[in-house]
Amino acid sequence: MNASGDTQDDISRRSFLLSSSGLFSSMWVAAHWPGIAAAAHHADQVSDAAPAHFQFFSAAEGADVEAVGAQIVPSGSTGGAREAHAVFFIDRSLSTYFASMAPGYRLVLADFQGKFRAANPGAASFAAAGSDQQIAFLKTVDRTPFFEITRTLTVLGMFSSPKYGGNFQGSGWKMMGFADQHAFAPPFGYYDAEYKGFVPYPAEKHA
Amino acid sequence: MTARKFKPDEMVDFVVVGSGAAGGVVARELSQGGFTVLVFEQGPRLSAADFEHDELKYFFLNGITNSAQYAPQTFRKLPTETAQRPRGGGLLPASYARLVGGSSTHYTANFWRFHEIDFNERSVLGSIPGTAFADWPISYQDLEPYYTKVEWEVGVSGLANASPFDPPRSKPYPMPPLPVKSSGVLLERGARKLGLHPFPAPMAIASQPYRGRSQCIHCGFCMGYGCEAQAKSSTLYTMIPEAEATGLCEIRANSFVYHVDTNAQGRTTGVHYFDSQKRSHFQPARAVVLSANGAETTRLLLNSTSNRFPQGLANSSGMVGKHLMFNQGSGAQGIFEHNLNEYKSVQVTRILHDFYDSDPKRGFYGGGGIDARINPQPALWALDSGGDLPRWGAEFKARLEAFPRAMASTGHTTSLPLESNSVSIDPTLKDAWGISAIRVTYKDHPDDLAMAKFLQDRSYEILQAAGAQKIWRNEISENVFGVHLLGTARMGNDPATSVVDKYHRTHDVPNLFLCDGSSFVTSGRGQPTMTIQALAFRAADYIGQFAKRNEI
Repeated sequence: MNASGDTQDDISRRSFLLSSSGLFSSMWVAAHWPGIAAAAHHADQVSDAAPAHFQFFSAAEGADVEAVGAQIVPSGSTGGAREAHAVFFIDRSLSTYFASMAPGYRLVLADFQGKFRAANPGAASFAAAGSDQQIAFLKTVDRTPFFEITRTLTVLGMFSSPKYGGNFQGSGWKMMGFADQHAFAPPFGYYDAEYKGFVPYPAEKHA
Repeated sequence: MTARKFKPDEMVDFVVVGSGAAGGVVARELSQGGFTVLVFEQGPRLSAADFEHDELKYFFLNGITNSAQYAPQTFRKLPTETAQRPRGGGLLPASYARLVGGSSTHYTANFWRFHEIDFNERSVLGSIPGTAFADWPISYQDLEPYYTKVEWEVGVSGLANASPFDPPRSKPYPMPPLPVKSSGVLLERGARKLGLHPFPAPMAIASQPYRGRSQCIHCGFCMGYGCEAQAKSSTLYTMIPEAEATGLCEIRANSFVYHVDTNAQGRTTGVHYFDSQKRSHFQPARAVVLSANGAETTRLLLNSTSNRFPQGLANSSGMVGKHLMFNQGSGAQGIFEHNLNEYKSVQVTRILHDFYDSDPKRGFYGGGGIDARINPQPALWALDSGGDLPRWGAEFKARLEAFPRAMASTGHTTSLPLESNSVSIDPTLKDAWGISAIRVTYKDHPDDLAMAKFLQDRSYEILQAAGAQKIWRNEISENVFGVHLLGTARMGNDPATSVVDKYHRTHDVPNLFLCDGSSFVTSGRGQPTMTIQALAFRAADYIGQFAKRNEI
């Protein structure tokens, strides 16, 4: 068990669910479907600009979570988690459809912040630290529940529909090369464009 | 003719519980046969316009799947353990789509026929100690006409006899295969180099306009989603409107059947259900067909206890809920030089069946098929953290940017029937209606894991031969949830070891029939829906004949 009440089995279940078995993949997050319509409705009204303030996080918590996200998917020639406003997706999800995990998340976040201060006595906060210092510390905690959950939520914040408050102006999809279109026509990619057609096998029957 | 609306308490010929892959077929066949049919569906009725391209909603918030919020379940690996609720939710241990059309609404639509060997494998290979490995009481030849019926009446695209391993068929597919994707081309390239026999995947998705439905628009949102183009051959778009058009069939959505009633003669008299306001009603029927899926059919039987049936209905053998089979699976994924754009179009366009049969030389039981596919949407793909995949930082971002160049080769494999793997009733947990909840007990047989590993190695070789620049593979893991809910009310000739006979009639209750994944005796190779629907056509054929001859 850890601060959020997860056992090692839960963690392995998550990593299984998050793996690509070719069957149905899913994840561990709480299912609060009725809450989502309201959240999406709210998000619709604000998704053209970054929200001015957090609903769930304090300013310091939000800054740290955003800084962790920015190390998970860094900025660069294409946008990262920061440009996708992933932290605002996380903030909104924890106050609506993922609310049941919010208290646990706050606990593991506090634990992360405490460990960072202990390891870096001079630093004001993770968000205020230099990038090298952040990376060095994350390497020591990147299998903890806090990191796993933040990674999951950051990814969801980058690639879920922009109506949920992240993936700002589709920046996550653009970075990944995913075209948000309703329909496509062949050829779909390089290799099928050059395909010559299916060649049948000789008629002998294999046992 | 418009859909029938039965009066409260009006006697019907058949109540069908469940409107999915099997229930939709049974309802259509019986109503076209002239019988009155009332179909109960616990979920809502949605239409194509209600479905969205929304990965968060469908994969992370149970948009159309059963949810722990109102129908929690518990899970354990072994019968000696106390089952626990999986923390956090997401997909439940026994997962299915909960709406009119059932899981046929959100399936990927891989429509492989079983092969002849699937029905008599026990006779060919011999017994497997510690398992309930058995032959089916029917053969491939018995089912072949009904496979053809599925292909033509539900609608399947494919290329007949393209695979040298295909079982015999009486008719070609009604529609040509869907256009090949780059993943299909690469699977074919790699596999042919290795001497294997890839071929166009049979899919229950329209490759051209079919029976009033649109052809596929290649949007890419098949697996886990309702089709916005009505091109996927879900019963929502195929069987159910045709059943309603008879004027003899009503689909009653948001109606949750929780008890099958029986009289002193041991016959069923109808069902009790909750309407959308959680008010309880009784619906009388001359006969009842349960097609609620391998988990919910089981729960309904086990919860329908009475003085005459103290261990649940149709359970004199004690076999109801036993022999749950999920299928196993494995895969490897590769990155190629050029863009494949696998997020476009249907999930699978090429498969191979070279490893379909079990081979004693491998040292374990099992068989399977390989296909080319990937988690087509960005978040699921990005969250894959198996093997040595980078999980954060610049390397992770580089992997994300390789999304258009990625594909997977995926194996779909057997599960052995084990008496210890089951759906049962949790001793304490209740759902939002106060009905005892599902408890899943499941641990893969070592041979099932060995077979998954075997096909993963083949997938790796195929990607390598296809010219992948980098290949990853995940660890083979034990199933902790399933979307294939098979074997829990197995078909057989012996009432002591099976629940239904070869016509899907329960051995114990003459006017109660079960038809869905629960009827399976063995698991097939990971693509069960085609066979569920062929069984449903066959069951409805015989049930209709019995009814006409007054033999129910």
